[in-house]
Formats: sequence, structure tokens, C-alpha cells
Amino acid sequence: MINFSYLVFIIKSAFFDFSRNKVRTILTSLGILIGVFSVVLLMALGLGLKKYIEQQFQSLGQNLLMVLPGQGFSQNGGQGLIGGIQFDEKDVLKIKRLKNVQAIAPFFTKTLKIEYKNKSQITTLLATTGDAFKVIKVEAARGSLFTNADNEKSAKAVILGAEIANKLFGSGEKAVGEAVRIQKERFIVKGVLKKTGGGALGSETDMRAIIPFRSSYFLNPDKKFFAIYTEAKDAKSVLTLKDDIKKTLLKRYNEDDFTVSESSELLNTINSIFSVLNLVLVAIAAISLVVGGIGIMNIMYVSVTERIKEIGIRRAIGARKFDILYQFLSESVILSLFGGFLGLFFAGLIVLAVQRLFPAYLDFGSVFLALGVSSAIGIVFGVFPAKKAADLSPIDAIRYE
Amino acid sequence: MLILENVWKEYVLDQETKFAALKNIDLTIKDGEFSSIIGPSGSGKSTLMHIIGLLDKPTKGKISFSGKDISRLDDNQTSTLRNEFVGFVFQQFNLINKLSILENIVLPAIYARKQLNFDPRQKAIRLMQQFGIAGKENSYPNKISGGQQQRVAIARALIMEPQLILADEPTGNLDTKSGEGIINLLSELNSKEKITVVVVTHDRHIAAKTKRVIKIIDGEIHK
Repeated sequence: MINFSYLVFIIKSAFFDFSRNKVRTILTSLGILIGVFSVVLLMALGLGLKKYIEQQFQSLGQNLLMVLPGQGFSQNGGQGLIGGIQFDEKDVLKIKRLKNVQAIAPFFTKTLKIEYKNKSQITTLLATTGDAFKVIKVEAARGSLFTNADNEKSAKAVILGAEIANKLFGSGEKAVGEAVRIQKERFIVKGVLKKTGGGALGSETDMRAIIPFRSSYFLNPDKKFFAIYTEAKDAKSVLTLKDDIKKTLLKRYNEDDFTVSESSELLNTINSIFSVLNLVLVAIAAISLVVGGIGIMNIMYVSVTERIKEIGIRRAIGARKFDILYQFLSESVILSLFGGFLGLFFAGLIVLAVQRLFPAYLDFGSVFLALGVSSAIGIVFGVFPAKKAADLSPIDAIRYE
Repeated sequence: MLILENVWKEYVLDQETKFAALKNIDLTIKDGEFSSIIGPSGSGKSTLMHIIGLLDKPTKGKISFSGKDISRLDDNQTSTLRNEFVGFVFQQFNLINKLSILENIVLPAIYARKQLNFDPRQKAIRLMQQFGIAGKENSYPNKISGGQQQRVAIARALIMEPQLILADEPTGNLDTKSGEGIINLLSELNSKEKITVVVVTHDRHIAAKTKRVIKIIDGEIHK
């Protein structure tokens, strides 16, 4: 029977062997260490990526519908946002008249230089309506945001992201009320956004400049939009509104020319892409675990050969085959778990280190998997050497020199 | 206690030739005997001891232990018998160098399947005192003399309170004085504690100290 003192004895004797062969033990565990380290780290980064994307989407309204050209982000599409049609004011007006529309924000973007005195910054300018701030959930830190009325008046107002305001003016406070030049046109800084570090407009939110759509015609003579974001009145009306928008647009465009997506749909698509990508990476990293396991198997065979005499002595004084099997199997499992723990530990350190930049984290599942997989490797790759040891004939083993 | 009937041990050397290490052995070892098996090297005396000690199986023949046929037992059963009823003492001492003296002595108790009615560590310490090696508990086998190592080996053989001690050339690696000490110790165990002792040796002087001498030449017992 396996009692406590037996277990202590087995573990103690395993550790004795490890301490006698320190270098060998460390090198053997290193294979498992690297395998567990890379698998756990990739899992943690994958989880972090998922969380990061979700955080980004949280800043988008729950009832948001995105009208995008081409196949957009739809599940089966892959054409992306480039190419396809562009929308115009007629489309915006038609959608605006539909039932259940809470807010509507058409978007035009252009990458250009924005100048203040002798300083200049490259920015991806965004031209939209006052509703946009509601839809994409951004707030002013300084000054105020422009409204739909400002848009109607073609006000020469600009809202700056926190970082670009800092770069041009030194601080957001100094920016409000000042005039900047956008391709020779003068715009007055009406407000500066709160620092977001990301958000609905992507990681560049802090470097954005946003102007009323009607003031952007000098950049956009065709008066076209690349996207129209619409917020439905409530969660129930999202799907109705989605259908209505589709019907409206189908009168002018072909089915393939545009896509209407819900924000949750987009999130699911992006998440599923990253999940598959992460799974592939984890699978590749898992190959190193197999290599590590083979290393353990190799060393266990050496260990059995070195200790044939000892096995013979143990058998002579009454150890059964099972006892010998158990002894060697415990050693390979301890060896593998040792590597697993260290791999987990180092992966944990890296995760802690990157957490300030990126929400990577270890969940219970990856810890359990790391330790479970390393024990399993110890058993699978240890069982053949252990069986070899157990099957030695006691008389041949004790005579072995 | 132990009866061997028509026991043969044959080794197949190649397809045509067989070598019989033991031929038709009939041997009875009674409870409480102190006997020696003597013969030149290659006579088959070690093979006989391995078969008596259940380390090896005969090719033919029957072995009974306390009236029970033990020649057809499986590995688990013979391991248990070795653990509980037989204590081995070897020429090479065969201690495990990475375990301390005390751990070596209690090792058979680790593998015990039955509930022990004594504390192995206390018993080991008592045996060490009895054998004049007290104080070496935490030392290691390669740090003590050959004579002391053999005493440790005898203590290990006794820890499970066996009925039979099998000693294979127990003095072979020792100087005359230490060797004599070991034989006296075995003799004492036999006379005082009524343990059956079988010593395998090629040395007539050693054999002369035992109560019964079994001669074996070319695998056969000479009466």
C-alpha cells in the first residue's frame, strides 16, 4: 500500500538523485520549462488580447450599427474596408429619417498635417457630426465638443486628442481657443479630449483631430463618407434598424457593395480570428513540450542503466515490480513538474511585467493545464524507462557490475 | 522449514547446448539450523542460494517453504516472501550508497505489505547498538569500514524479523578478523534468536564454524 512514509521516501530519494546530478536535472527540466513557459505565455497573451479588444469595444455603444463599404467585417467576407463604394449625404439623410435612430455619425478621414505656429503634427483627421461623440463615447477634458448645430453652421472648430494637443501646445489647457492650420484653413480649437489610450477610434484616438463634417468640404469636394455609424434607440430595435438600413441602401447599391454590422458581431469576428491564431501559436509551442518529454525519457533510460545494481538490491529485500515502477515514474513526474513549475513561474513574471502595457493575464485554466500537461508528460515519457527498470530480473540486476 | 525436491537449474547457452547449474537437488533445511553450503567457484552454490532465497526460479523441481509449495508463485508473491521471511547478506554488502545507514536498515520495512508490530527506526537503532555500530545512523555506507558495512547489511536483513538468513560469501570482502566477527555474529543470531542461517562459502574454516556442511560440486550435492 502507498502510505505517507513510502511517499516521503520515494520523493526524498528522487530529490537525492536530482541533487547529485544537478546539471543533468536542470538541463532535462529545461526542455519542459521552455515548453510550459511558451505555451503559458502565449495563452496569457491570447487572453490579454481578447480582453484588450473587448475593452476597446466597450467604448463603443452597445446599440451601434456600422454601415461600411464592401464586405466590411462580416463573418464570411474578407474584402475589408478598402475599395468599394463611398456613401454620401443622401444616404445619411435617408437613414436619419428611419425609425429608431438615436444618433447618426458619418465619417470622413484623411491623413494630413496640422500646424500651430512653427510646430506641425501628422494626424488622421476625422470629419463627422456632433452625434459622433455620443456614438463613440468620448468626452472633452478641456473646452467643449462641437454640436450638430456647429456642423450645420460649418463652424471652423476642431477637437484635438490629448496627445496631439500636448505636442502642439504643451498642454490641453493652452490649446483651447487657439487657432491651428489645416491645409491653410484656420480652425479654432474648441475642445481637447480626455486621454483614452485607445478606444473606439483605435489606438490613435489621442492623436486625432476631429472637425465638423460640413467644414471639411475643402478636403472632401465629393462630400463622400467612408462609414456611417448609427445608434439605435435601444437594444430591442437594433436588428429592426439593421434591416431598415439595409432595405434603404439596397435601393441605391448592390448587396455586395456595403455591410451593416452590429458592434457585437464585429467583436465576435475579431475574437474568433485571434482565437484561431492563438490556438495555432499554442500548438506550435506545444511541440517543444514533446521535445522536452523526449529529453526526460532519454535521461530516465540513462538513470535506469546507472542504477541497475540498486534496483537489484531493492528487489532482493522485497520491492515488487510495482515499487520499482513507481519509484522511476515518480522521478520522471517530479522532474517534469519541476520544469513545469519553473516555466509557469517565468511566464508569470513576464505576464506581470507586461501587464502595465497590455492586459495579459494567467487564468486558472492555464495554470492547471501547465501543471497537468507537465505531469502527463512525466508519466507518458517516464513509463517506458520505469517499465524497463521494473522488468529487470532481480538476479541479473543484483549481479550487475 | 525449507524443502527442495528434484530441483534443476538449466541455462540455455545456445540452441544445442544447455548448461545445468544445479542437478537434481534434494535438500531439507530445518528450522533453527546453522548450515553452510560449500563448494569451489562455479559449483552452483550461489545459484542454489538464489533459488532458496526466491531471487531465482528453478527450471524443474519443487520448493516448499513451511509446507507451502512456492515454486509457482508470481512475482508479487515471491517479492512479499523475500520481504517478510528471508534476509540476505551479500559478499559485496550491497548497501545503497545514497541512503544513510539508518535508511538502509529500514529499507525493507518501506516495502512491507503487512502491518508491522514494531517501529522500524527504533528497531534499527537497537540492532545497531547490538552490533556495535551505534552512532553511525546518519553516516553513509562508503564512509564506514567493510566490517561495519556488513554489520549494517545484517541489521537490514534482520529488520523484518525473517525466519531465514541467507549469507552469500559474507566474509569474502573482509579481512580475517572482521570476517570472523561476522561469522560469530551470525552464529549468535542462530543460537540466541533461533534464526535459521545458511552461509554460502568456499572457505573450509568458515564452513567449519557451522553445525551442518552441505558440499556441492558441479551442481550436485555430495553427501
